[in-house]
Amino acid sequence: MPAVQMTAVSKSYRRRGRPPQKALDDLDLLVETGGVHGFLGPNGSGKTTTIRVLLGLVAADGEPDIRLLDRPVPAGLPDVIGSVGALVETPLFTPGFSGRLNLQLLAEAAGVPRSRVEECLELVDLTDRARDRFKGYSLGMKQRLGIAAALLKRPRLLILDEPSNGLDPAGIRDVRELIRRLGRDGRTTVLLSSHLLAEIQQVCDSVSILAKGRCVAAGPVADVLARGATGDVRIRVPDAAGAAAVLAGAGFAVSPPEVPDGRTLLVHRVAAPGEITRTLARHEHFLEELTPLTPDLESAFLALTGDQPPAAVPQGAGTPTAPGSRA
Amino acid sequence: MSAAPPLPEAADVTDPGTPAPRLGGLLRAELHRFRSRRFIQVLVGLTLVGFVVATVIGLLNLGSPTDADLAAARAEAERFVAEQEEFRQECLADPGLPDDVPAEEFCGPPLTVDDVGGTESFLDEEPFDLAGAGTDGALAVAALSAALAFVIGATWIGAEWSHRSIVALLFWVPRRLTVMGAKVAVLVLAAAAFGVLTQIAWLAMAGVLRAAVGTDEALPDHFWSTLLQTQGRGVLLTVFAALLGFGLANLVRNTGAALGIAFVYVVVLENAVRVLRPRWDPFLLTSNALGLVQDGGHTLQYWPEQGPSSDGLQMPVEYFLGHLQAAALLTAVTAVVVGVGVALFARRDLH
Repeated sequence: MPAVQMTAVSKSYRRRGRPPQKALDDLDLLVETGGVHGFLGPNGSGKTTTIRVLLGLVAADGEPDIRLLDRPVPAGLPDVIGSVGALVETPLFTPGFSGRLNLQLLAEAAGVPRSRVEECLELVDLTDRARDRFKGYSLGMKQRLGIAAALLKRPRLLILDEPSNGLDPAGIRDVRELIRRLGRDGRTTVLLSSHLLAEIQQVCDSVSILAKGRCVAAGPVADVLARGATGDVRIRVPDAAGAAAVLAGAGFAVSPPEVPDGRTLLVHRVAAPGEITRTLARHEHFLEELTPLTPDLESAFLALTGDQPPAAVPQGAGTPTAPGSRA
Repeated sequence: MSAAPPLPEAADVTDPGTPAPRLGGLLRAELHRFRSRRFIQVLVGLTLVGFVVATVIGLLNLGSPTDADLAAARAEAERFVAEQEEFRQECLADPGLPDDVPAEEFCGPPLTVDDVGGTESFLDEEPFDLAGAGTDGALAVAALSAALAFVIGATWIGAEWSHRSIVALLFWVPRRLTVMGAKVAVLVLAAAAFGVLTQIAWLAMAGVLRAAVGTDEALPDHFWSTLLQTQGRGVLLTVFAALLGFGLANLVRNTGAALGIAFVYVVVLENAVRVLRPRWDPFLLTSNALGLVQDGGHTLQYWPEQGPSSDGLQMPVEYFLGHLQAAALLTAVTAVVVGVGVALFARRDLH
């Protein structure tokens, strides 16, 4: 049973005097149960709208198939809301109430025992400040209270929208650790929306990437990364110029690194790195280093959303000395 | 969370499941939220302080007259009436009286002590008269209570929109009508309690004034039933006002805007209507509020728009606003204002 399933979901916002703005455009999203699923996309790509649709705050166009914990949204939302914790954008609490009172009111409304409030305050290290008013909290403390509220229900599905906002480095580390732990427990599914690509890469098992209201890539993080892989390798040899000539002569696309040092070369779109070793050795050039350039999620993300070229080619690397590829 | 204690195991964080939200829990939570609002606490506290201050002012300005005080006041009243009678006689004897109006009509009837306010109005410190002030005081308290309840109702939902905590509540109770229904129910309960509290405060104040500086005259028949009925309708008006404040603030999603609209309506629009379209007076909210609470209803008088008749006389038109009619109009207006806001809340996208 998927934790989240959305099929062909569209959402347009009417604008006065202007054509409607399409926030979601036939979006398909599948989040399997268990683990941490990342939700990536540039600003305005529809991430928050998607979360709002899932939580019944925003109505999708038409009547698309949206399921949360196997219940249709919004009709079946009341049946599963007790198992869904959410922190959407900024935490929404009554500023004049203390942190503890804000949580107590939510707990009372949902029938959560009061002891759970203290557990969650302890969990986010707010017990000492629980009596202070929410409006006196720092941004990080507000965010921590929001996370505490999301955990109050012991959720099976935890939806976190930018949970690291305003946290100090240690706080970010703790939140990521908590998210990872929740994702491993086999009971909780975490849907983590974040603009911090490193966070997604570190924490998530799978990822969906949104661009212009559509899901442009989805799957395990490793698979999505592989889609952005270019097969580039960096080699280090005593005589870079000589080696470049040999490799170019053998049909490899070669370019100098961003900062040429006379010993390093970038070889592009290499299907079998062993071919480089063999070719150079035949011409008395012996490798000191051969490193496959692994693309990071940021590169894959930018390439998929069409904002930037694939990042395995370093910025300013220049044009390869020979076109084509051996692969 | 830099100094956070070791995080518990994940199973501790999420197990076991949470029961589905129940209406009873939501009502308890909303009642708790209402009671915890600092502004509402301060407003209720200031209202009670106001009653204490009004009682003290009453004690300082009213008094129990001695027999000598009463005799002096009676003598002063009679002297005043005699003086007025002298003026009247001079008027009757005036040769320049118009021919087409009888002299008795032109100069008016002879005055009595009661016509000039009675002996009490000639006392330096008038005693408190519960028989005369009881229902009028309840009416005034109902007006005050309604105005404050309007503010309470507006801020109750307006503050929720201001910091959007009502949206956060939907993460817990996604049925929007249930959420809004709980808030309305709590407001009705609280407004009724507030109305009862202010009317009890008025009874307490009147009791203190009567005991300390009041007249000893017996209360007229049906005094208590009339007073209690007026107070009951005053409580009803308080509930209407709270719901109107709630509905308006829910429509415009802002407390300040709701209060501004109410101010413009009462001060500008109603006065403009009374001047420009007096026939519409029976549909104005304050007229109906008076018709609802005032003992025996409210009789409106306005001048017809078509001007004097052929004989040159112009008689004002009278319109009687009874309790039921006023209650019906206030119910209809309240239902529309609250209902439209709730319907929009149920349908609109929330951000």
